[in-house]
Amino acid sequence: MVRGFGWAAAFPDEVWEHVFSFLAADADRNAVALVCRAWHRIERRSRRRVFVGNCYAVAPAAAVRRFPEVRAAAIKGKPHFADFNLVPTDWGGGAEAWVEAMAEGWPHLEELRLKRMVVSDDCLELIARSFKNFGVLSLVSCDGFSTAGLAAIAANCRSSPVHTSVGLEVAILVSVASEGVNELSLVYLLLSSADIPYLRNLRELDLHENEVEDNCLNWISHFPESFTSLVSLNIACLEGDVNTSVLECLISRCPNLKTLRLNHAMPLEKLVSLLQRAPQLVDVGTSKFSADHHPELFSKLESTFAGFKHLKSLSGIWEAGPTYLPAIYSVCESLTSLNLCYATIQSPELLKFVSRCKNLQRLWVMDLIEDNGLIAVAASCKLLQELRVFPSDPYGVAPPISLTEHGLVAISAGCLMLHSVLYFCRQMTNAALLTIANNRPNLTCFRLCIIEPHTPDYISQEPLDAGFSAIVESCKDLRRLSLSGLLTDRVFKSIGASANRLEMLSVAFAGDSDAGLHYILSGCKNLRKLEIRDCPFGDKALLDNASKLETMRSLWMSSCSVTLGACRQLALKMPRLNVEVIDERRGRPLESWPDDFPVEKLYIYRTVAGPRSDTPPCVWTV
Amino acid sequence: MELELGLALPGGDLIAELGLASEKSTSMCRKRGFDDMFCRATSPPLFVQKDGDDDDGDDDDSRFNHLQELNLGSRVLVGWPPVRVSRRKSEEGGKRRVNCVKVNMEGVAIGRKVDLSLHDSYQALFLTLSQMFPKKQHDGEESDAAYYKVTYEDEDGDWMLVGDVPWEAFIL
Repeated sequence: MVRGFGWAAAFPDEVWEHVFSFLAADADRNAVALVCRAWHRIERRSRRRVFVGNCYAVAPAAAVRRFPEVRAAAIKGKPHFADFNLVPTDWGGGAEAWVEAMAEGWPHLEELRLKRMVVSDDCLELIARSFKNFGVLSLVSCDGFSTAGLAAIAANCRSSPVHTSVGLEVAILVSVASEGVNELSLVYLLLSSADIPYLRNLRELDLHENEVEDNCLNWISHFPESFTSLVSLNIACLEGDVNTSVLECLISRCPNLKTLRLNHAMPLEKLVSLLQRAPQLVDVGTSKFSADHHPELFSKLESTFAGFKHLKSLSGIWEAGPTYLPAIYSVCESLTSLNLCYATIQSPELLKFVSRCKNLQRLWVMDLIEDNGLIAVAASCKLLQELRVFPSDPYGVAPPISLTEHGLVAISAGCLMLHSVLYFCRQMTNAALLTIANNRPNLTCFRLCIIEPHTPDYISQEPLDAGFSAIVESCKDLRRLSLSGLLTDRVFKSIGASANRLEMLSVAFAGDSDAGLHYILSGCKNLRKLEIRDCPFGDKALLDNASKLETMRSLWMSSCSVTLGACRQLALKMPRLNVEVIDERRGRPLESWPDDFPVEKLYIYRTVAGPRSDTPPCVWTV
Repeated sequence: MELELGLALPGGDLIAELGLASEKSTSMCRKRGFDDMFCRATSPPLFVQKDGDDDDGDDDDSRFNHLQELNLGSRVLVGWPPVRVSRRKSEEGGKRRVNCVKVNMEGVAIGRKVDLSLHDSYQALFLTLSQMFPKKQHDGEESDAAYYKVTYEDEDGDWMLVGDVPWEAFIL
């Protein structure tokens, strides 16, 4: 038995590195790093992937310094409620600080994924210039950039092999040496036109649900002719037209292209001729799927889709109607993922399409599918794992759709592998929730949104406490939960007591008193993210559970009953939390407000970086 | 786009009509014979105005009114229901405007509302209309297209038969 930790030195560092390479989870690597100094050193030098759930939790320079050999980074910025307009647009989440630090410290970075961050065109240009072996750029729910920035990314892509460019660089150096300093300007000219391989081998450009300003119509034409390494291209969020012939050329010369998600703007005929070039596609997002009926177009569409032998995922299908959807029935059987949430197609046609998709694992659809449609899905799609049903008419303007709790109950009964649900509807009962809970104890994600706040069980008029309690008690592996409907403090008691694996909880228009919040914060061992709006939760629960907040990534509270005084106390007590008070009315500075001032929006997150320096006028770090 | 519609019940040799008034008739300039359409003896269809560009405004108001009825004081609910902003943008603005028109059928007192943007072709629109308005019970007529004539009133005040121009031009 070796005394102390001398055994760590028994093997050379490379052996430990190899052992650690089998640890994928960050939590495991973090644990390893705490064992001894040697392991800490070895682990940090060998960590290749970094996930920063809150861009303000750590200073970029510190992250780069700690893990110098990172090849893949994922960073998230704004709080989730920014998706629903609750966070001021200037709140923060700018990517510059991170991109600058990474350009400096991680020149070998290959993958960058940013979510809910403000990314400027300058950032994109810096990314384009800085990472020589860059392969994957993914921007999700970001804003602040335009197609000009995308053009910069495109322009810097190369697929040339290494030795060519190195040879060229060597030749230039040799000629400089022999011809002297007067030739310096010539050298610069040569270097700038040389095939210096930035962004070599870009494989994946994923733009998902970003707000992109359209100022460079032909950005796709900036991909050089020599660029052939594209595997995945997702431009679904772009509003403007894309030059189809340029795109066709790009697609034709990228034989490894597996994912192609187009934007809305392309007319159906152009889409068909584009897709014909890439029958090897596995994941297709179409453009607009509506046009007047032309038999010729119909049969072209039909034969194009019949040509897809490997298609597993289908999305887009904007504005699809009964006219053209039948043309693509041939792919239904092979689909594992189907996103129809932009298709405004009504129930009978929708039903016909979806019930042919016998191998579906993921279905995203509008509530136009109605209960009948979901009953059919429950009968046909036995492998379904994830269901999302979105509201076609969230503001209740059009006549109501016949989608109720019955649809979800049917799915829970028929789809044994179902583990993830997002469901918008207008009515619910405790009995239905109980049935769902009993049918599907394997749920890991349950997000129910009853559109009208405070809606009770429509049969018993009771609050939906019993129903949601059944969900958390039965579904032991539940990691994400969103509540809605009429709820008292009782449901929070159940959640606090039973939801041991819960990591993210979203609450709106629920609860009676502080007790509700207290139950959550004093229970829910694994809670990481808590977001609350319009609930009567206040100071006491917050202060009583202050230390809990340091075990979580973040807490968002808006339109609750928290006062400024409590925030001040909390900030004093917990120096490693940033307590941000957000008030868009922009009156007098925070210091002059009294303690009983009601806080409209509050965002609290743990951080080792201290208060951030980029707060806008409407945000105060207390 | 301002739209006014009317729909008349078929009866004997009568033609049911759907009248649509459209401001943008630049592409819809062919006229049809109106005599056969006006030969029905019944009173003119009920026209209910639907403000085109103001529709979003109206809808906004009705949405806010609807929400304000909740016990939440006079505050307008921001960000509820929790639907993503970009999805909302694509639903309200941009290319997929909610394009509701009111449809009246002659002889039927209560009208219906049809969202043109939910349809991708004339066939789809006719299908919806046939589902919305009860057919006369006398003979098991299946072919609605033959049975009903759908018309609209363009900005010149002329009655036009629906279906002449491409669907995309029609719904603009």
